[in-house]
Amino acid sequence: MTDPTDPIDGVDEDRALAGELALRVLSPAEEAAARAREVADPAFAAQVDAWNCQLAGLADEIAPVKPSANVWPRVEAGLAPPVAANDNRRLAFWRTWAVGSTGLLAASLAAVVVILAQPAPVPPAPAPAAPVAVTRVATLTLENGAAAMTLAYDPGTGELYLAPTTEMAGDTRIPHLWLVLPEGGVQLVGAIDGSATSRHNLGRALAGTAGLANAVAVSMEAPGHTPAADKPDGPVVASGDLQRL
Amino acid sequence: MSALLTRDELAMALGQAGQGDRAAFRRVYEATSAKLLGVTLRILADRQLAEDVLQDTYLTVWRKAGSFDASRASPITWLVTIARNRAIDRLRSGASLRRSTPIDDAFDIADDGPSPAEALESGDDVRRLNDCLGKLDDRTGGAIRTAFIEGVTYDALASRENVPLGTMKSWIRRGLMRLRTCLDS
Repeated sequence: MTDPTDPIDGVDEDRALAGELALRVLSPAEEAAARAREVADPAFAAQVDAWNCQLAGLADEIAPVKPSANVWPRVEAGLAPPVAANDNRRLAFWRTWAVGSTGLLAASLAAVVVILAQPAPVPPAPAPAAPVAVTRVATLTLENGAAAMTLAYDPGTGELYLAPTTEMAGDTRIPHLWLVLPEGGVQLVGAIDGSATSRHNLGRALAGTAGLANAVAVSMEAPGHTPAADKPDGPVVASGDLQRL
Repeated sequence: MSALLTRDELAMALGQAGQGDRAAFRRVYEATSAKLLGVTLRILADRQLAEDVLQDTYLTVWRKAGSFDASRASPITWLVTIARNRAIDRLRSGASLRRSTPIDDAFDIADDGPSPAEALESGDDVRRLNDCLGKLDDRTGGAIRTAFIEGVTYDALASRENVPLGTMKSWIRRGLMRLRTCLDS
């Protein structure tokens, strides 16, 4: 039977959570929150790594199975040259953006703006399926490299979790979250709280787009002002790649 | 062809792959793909899906090889973790329709049997893990093994064992902490 004299205290709480994350037993919402924590908290991330190393021994009992001969050619066909160029391009994009160029976005999108500060209605049905409903996480960093916010997004449910650091505190402007789309251009998600963690649901209109986005960014807008859905008016202060888990 | 690499050789090949060396990457694939397909197949129980995920796994490995740090993880541990997580993501994305092929049958398709050099870790690490798991009660140790090998959540484990969710969480959390204490000692 279970041992009632074996409580998990607060210190062990993090270790246990890191173990649950490595083992992947958490529910999707719990897992997204723990992933966001992993991205933001190096000590916690190290715990997850340690668990991964220790638990991986469990795979020892799994018998190897030789892949079909056509797998390697498929892998080889997908090998891209080293990736550094991409990041530079994205940075350049944002620099251009920050000085107010609009040339990059000739086509304006008939976009839906969702102001996240308002309670969203409960979505009637699951959002249209993103290509693969894998939780995305991002760490948004400032120009100086400091982390401004971590984000976790579940394309399956449209659930979005935001955890700003203190870097965003004390600014009188209102942070707005943007999706950076793979074909170029940006899509406004809405105003966000820069001072405390928050949860949102993107709903159907945006969930599909968010599943396709490859990065996110934050602009600072004047209080009371809502920018166009495809172009921030204030400076873009932070951005980060969306990583699949 | 089976290319057997020691842990150090594998770590080196992975490092070279991180520099864009495709031949080194091919050696990593030859040495580890059967192990990783074993891992993804146990989770997805469908050969085609498991191979799709395997392909995706190696593309990820190619992109991330430069960030592999041999001082922090063994190469095979790092690879297994990526493959397992990718397979679980696919399983939970709903893209996989679990077929009813019994897993044991699936293994008959092409099981070359474990080769010594493909053993996951140095045998000592694995033995210690098994020793420590053996000190947990069978139910808890079994739940942790199943969670790892099949990639299932608390919810699924609780249904299978026919216990409340909270009970399953409590078993595994306590089991993990005991396991950790044992492994660290």
